[in-house]
Amino acid sequence: MSTVDERPEVPFGNLIAALRERAKELACLYRIEEILVNPDAEPAAVGRAILATIPAGMQHPDLTQVELTLAGETFRTPGLKKAPDRVSADIRIQNMLLGELAVSYAQPMPEADEGPFLADEVRLVRTIADRLALFAHHRRMREHFVELERAQRKLEGKKSGTLRIVLDLLAKTDRGLHHRISHKMLNHLCRIGIPEAEQLLVRADIPRYGEDEALERETNRPRRSQKGRAAVDLAGETFRIASEHLTEEDILGRVERWMQEDKLAFLIRAAERLLPLPDLADAIRRYHEMSTPDTDLPSSVRAGVRVSLIRRFLSDDLAWIRMAKDHVEISDFHTLLSRMIYSAGSHGRIGGKSAGLFLASLLLARAAKEYPELADVRVPATWHVTSDMHTEFLYHNNLEEIAEQKYKDLAQIRSEYPHIVHLCRNSHFPPELAKGLSIALESFGDRPIIVRSSSLLEDRAGTAFSGKYKSLFLANQGSKEERLVALFDAVAEIYASLFGPDPMEYRTQHGLIDFVEEMGILLQEVVGTRVGPYFLPAFAGVAFSRNEFRWSPRIRREDGLIRLVPGLGTRAVDRVGEDYPVMFAPGQPGLRVSVSVEEMLRYSPRFVDVIHLETNTFDTVPFAEVLAGRVDDYPLLPLVASEVRHGQVRPLNLIDTPAPGALLPNFEGLMAERSFAKTMRTMLTVLEKAFGSPVDIEFAHDGRHLHLLQCRTQSSAEDYGPSPIPRDLPPERVIFTARRFVSNGRVPDLTHIVYVDPDRYAELPTADRLKAVGRAVGQLNKLLPPRGFILLGPGRWGSRGDIKLGVPVNYSDISHAAMLVEIARRRGQFTPDLSFGTHFFQDLVEAKIRYLPLYPDDPDVRFNEEFLRGAPSVLMDLLPASEPLSATLRVIDVRAAANGRILRVLLNADLDEAIAFLADPEIRED
Amino acid sequence: MSAGAFNPFQMAQSQFDRIADVLKLDAGTRELLRWPLREYHFLIPVRMDDGSHKVFRGFRCQHNDARGPCKGGIRFHPHETIDTVRALAMWMTWKCSTVDIPLGGGKGGVICDPHHLSAFEQQGICRGWVRQIARNVGPVQDVPAPDVMTNPQHMLWMLDEWEAIHGEKGPGFITGKPVGMGGSLGRTEATGYGVGYVVREALKILGIAPDKALAAIQGFGNVSQYAVKILNSFGTKVVCVSCWNQKDQTSYTFAKKDGIDVDALLSITDHFGSIDTEKAKAMGVQVLPGDKWIDQEVDILIPAALENQVTGENVQRISKRVKLIAEGANGPTTPEADSVLHERGVFCIPDVLANAGGVTCSYFEQVQCNTNYFWPKDEVLSKLDAKMTSAFKAVHDLSKKKNLYMRDACYQISVDRVARACRDRGWV
Repeated sequence: MSTVDERPEVPFGNLIAALRERAKELACLYRIEEILVNPDAEPAAVGRAILATIPAGMQHPDLTQVELTLAGETFRTPGLKKAPDRVSADIRIQNMLLGELAVSYAQPMPEADEGPFLADEVRLVRTIADRLALFAHHRRMREHFVELERAQRKLEGKKSGTLRIVLDLLAKTDRGLHHRISHKMLNHLCRIGIPEAEQLLVRADIPRYGEDEALERETNRPRRSQKGRAAVDLAGETFRIASEHLTEEDILGRVERWMQEDKLAFLIRAAERLLPLPDLADAIRRYHEMSTPDTDLPSSVRAGVRVSLIRRFLSDDLAWIRMAKDHVEISDFHTLLSRMIYSAGSHGRIGGKSAGLFLASLLLARAAKEYPELADVRVPATWHVTSDMHTEFLYHNNLEEIAEQKYKDLAQIRSEYPHIVHLCRNSHFPPELAKGLSIALESFGDRPIIVRSSSLLEDRAGTAFSGKYKSLFLANQGSKEERLVALFDAVAEIYASLFGPDPMEYRTQHGLIDFVEEMGILLQEVVGTRVGPYFLPAFAGVAFSRNEFRWSPRIRREDGLIRLVPGLGTRAVDRVGEDYPVMFAPGQPGLRVSVSVEEMLRYSPRFVDVIHLETNTFDTVPFAEVLAGRVDDYPLLPLVASEVRHGQVRPLNLIDTPAPGALLPNFEGLMAERSFAKTMRTMLTVLEKAFGSPVDIEFAHDGRHLHLLQCRTQSSAEDYGPSPIPRDLPPERVIFTARRFVSNGRVPDLTHIVYVDPDRYAELPTADRLKAVGRAVGQLNKLLPPRGFILLGPGRWGSRGDIKLGVPVNYSDISHAAMLVEIARRRGQFTPDLSFGTHFFQDLVEAKIRYLPLYPDDPDVRFNEEFLRGAPSVLMDLLPASEPLSATLRVIDVRAAANGRILRVLLNADLDEAIAFLADPEIRED
Repeated sequence: MSAGAFNPFQMAQSQFDRIADVLKLDAGTRELLRWPLREYHFLIPVRMDDGSHKVFRGFRCQHNDARGPCKGGIRFHPHETIDTVRALAMWMTWKCSTVDIPLGGGKGGVICDPHHLSAFEQQGICRGWVRQIARNVGPVQDVPAPDVMTNPQHMLWMLDEWEAIHGEKGPGFITGKPVGMGGSLGRTEATGYGVGYVVREALKILGIAPDKALAAIQGFGNVSQYAVKILNSFGTKVVCVSCWNQKDQTSYTFAKKDGIDVDALLSITDHFGSIDTEKAKAMGVQVLPGDKWIDQEVDILIPAALENQVTGENVQRISKRVKLIAEGANGPTTPEADSVLHERGVFCIPDVLANAGGVTCSYFEQVQCNTNYFWPKDEVLSKLDAKMTSAFKAVHDLSKKKNLYMRDACYQISVDRVARACRDRGWV
């Protein structure tokens, strides 16, 4: 793909002619410059001279006719004829139109680059127009300067009359501002109840709210025109009335304030009108260059502009705006703009993920004054591609029809998705997007980057599209060309993920399918450092301001939760199977999930996600392998790892560093050091307070600084009250009880149980059979009453690791369940890695699917295997082809099996108890 | 504990009663040995990290010290009961007596769950425990050790508090300390090697040449790994080990007819202790279902994993070739299976003897600390060999003399030694 302007080759024979044209053009420009160099030249003389000079610069001087409008005067070539083709250029300074220069031929001429004109001629006309604009501007400035000097001379030694002079000056230098200030003064006079002002209002035909019948009643009838009234010198009259009722100091003070406010008017207009982003960006830059402190503005004006800018750049979600408007300053958008990629006609936003990170970074920077521990928290270099570049990408490649993908059947979406990915990856990038990405890539150099989705829906409160859209790591090594191609591929893949089956299913579930979803992109430098051939942070992870996974009753929800891994944080966010992030609560940094040596050895992360700089790939390697021969290179190793020596886990011995195999990344050093816990806790508290709801963040530490990578509201289930646990039930009515990790709430009236028998599942002989169980669950998900069934099965549902660990499903296969129960057989004293913080669990929380881990081997719990194995299964009625699975997968119609009773689950977090029992239905069926 | 529910102390008492009947112990001796000699219940107030105070309940039970200072672990367990502590203390008396080391039996604990406590708070509990009982424990009174949820760090805190109170150094107060801080070398190997030493002695009695013998082991933990190593050093081939596979959530047996190579298997073992099945196959090791270890055509079976593994259901699968079972784990054979094996004439080395290498090494740690002179590993292991061998011989002599099943001989010899010590001291 090339963005270079490709000019057609000029045949050698034409070269002399082309050069001759160029010489003419230069001669013409020289002549114009001679005319305009004299600032005292009369406008009429200048106009005539221009008219005479321009034809010499054109191909056909004899036929050239010129029309120039400048400072209210128009000059035309005598006998000017109306011509079909003309080239014209506005004469303007700072968006102010001062006139126009137009050139045409008196008769039709043969076609050249643009109509009969050469491209160079068009450029010549524009250059002359620009030069004329400068000339006119210079003259105006001179006039204003002379006026000002005169006014100052008048003011010297004069106490009164200042107002008159100021207003005169204003009227002469900026008529529009003079007019607006007069209006404001008139409004002010009316407000303080000056009858003359109100009469003036009537005379000037300006309705005053409360007096105009139509406005007051807000009827649909248009106001009657009140033509025929005498034209009024509104400004003069207003200030005459003002001077009768107000002191001169008062009037001058107000005028000064209104002038200051008016300076911002352009920004307000730019923000509120739906101007394309480049125009809005110009306005913000202009404001920035004025270097007016935000605090100089009246608060209502500031708030208005901020809200408009938030809506344009960040989010139009009302709740989001309400939350952000107190924290974002106008000047912050100037910083944001310098790292945004958008097109000339763009109206897009930066998307949810980008917006969350942008806001969080501002919050932390401000909070650092009060909390010094936050001063060292950074945000990596980040670029944002606006959401509508995605649409532009599709249009550029004639792919707009795939936007309708969302209305297709899920099965069709699923089957067509690979094709869409293929299409996107083989598409061309619109030049502006390509150029923007190239500039961003230039700024990153060859440091690894991550390309992340940041869609409009993503990370909104209550709809975390976590993990449904893609995030891709790029090693970003090689030539610029190679790196750019890799970046394009990544962006295309993320664009395609908008049409993936999982997000579509999620959107259908949440009534979001008709939303015009757009995909913004976040390009972020990967936080890390080089260790041998690998690039990785010392550690990274995800943190929650509310802890929904309390392994000790001493941990309160507000103590938060951190999941830590060495290397890239992907392993803390994802469920990776047989590897475990280290968890701790920053509010209770002394408490450990793993206490005994055995627990520590078994339940620590052993693999590390890294970027391999030599193979240019994202890899997962054993921790020991990263350290092999490089123990001294790994940043912050004493905080990350402990050593295992003589069966003991001890702090790292820096004098006698052990072999990599004896290093255990249990983060004991980091947790014991406390400052990390303090920083994280402050960060979570500050962000939660500002966001107005629990938040979760992603972070990484490169050995020098802690970096914030992402921030969004933590989607948590509605907090139902604790349910009373019945104590007097006959044992045969109890299906299971739980005494660990219980949250509050109740799941009433479940009519079906889908039970995957843990023993039988473990005995399934082939991977195909294991996968078939997952598929059958997906089919049952569509057949069974939504939110009317409970899923009970072994291990970790939906684990991305080995499928023997749990039933292989994704969210769309379980989306209609009311409750998901993971059955874990206890091994020693350990706490199994629950799905908390992983993409899957967030889905459950969002969809209000209750989650409960079950430990049938615990003392004092009941697990009614007789009922689960003995009650009749209706699997074959629902899925006749699933006979081979009938021993493993059972579907119990609870009402049929229990004399009309249903299954009810009551949960009580205060008691840490849950019970599922057969009960009489609460909901009566019609 | 409600009436009718399982009570470990009642079970330990009734087990003792049966042996006392056989030994025809007098009423006074019975009454003395049925109960702990001394029992301490105390409260441990601890200042928590948040400034509040929490009071924990602590125990120390000294079952019998007629043969020497009490010896036994300290457990941190949220569901600790005095009956569990009493039963375990009594068990320690018999165990020390079986291997004939000059120690009695004790056990202690605190009702707590370290998962809910910071390291600082745990230190508070350790020091508080010692403060409450400092005058009743010590190198020549009662010697604690790590147990459930306690580790060498806890032992060091306790030692430090004890020394502070007494104003003197006394590393022999507690065992299980880190190497270099009063810990003994050879601790890692001790239990597995101990199993190997008694197996070697049993083979001599059975007339089986060690280099002709084949063994199958259940488990691939510390005990099993070192048992394989020491058996290999005698020329005995171990044809299989079994282990849990974390990834597949099931266990497998890894078998090789000409003997497994423990170091090769360890090189493909992950931090869960799971052997990589694919790599094992590539090494020419057969990967069989987890329970296949019991079906092997071998001379020796060593269950060294969990309780209740040889049961009435699978005991019949044991090959006729099997002549010897050495219980590396605690209680791996159910009573039902045990009687079948007894009838079949399989030679059994019961857990109390077979896995006593660990407690013997603790004793050595104490001895080394008391003399403030630490032995090289070889010396520790050779002394261990000597101790285990002589203990085995004593039990076997009794079993031969009285025509007793080895398990019964163990119990009888241990109770008899303690009862005699009490009588010799004129207690009863």
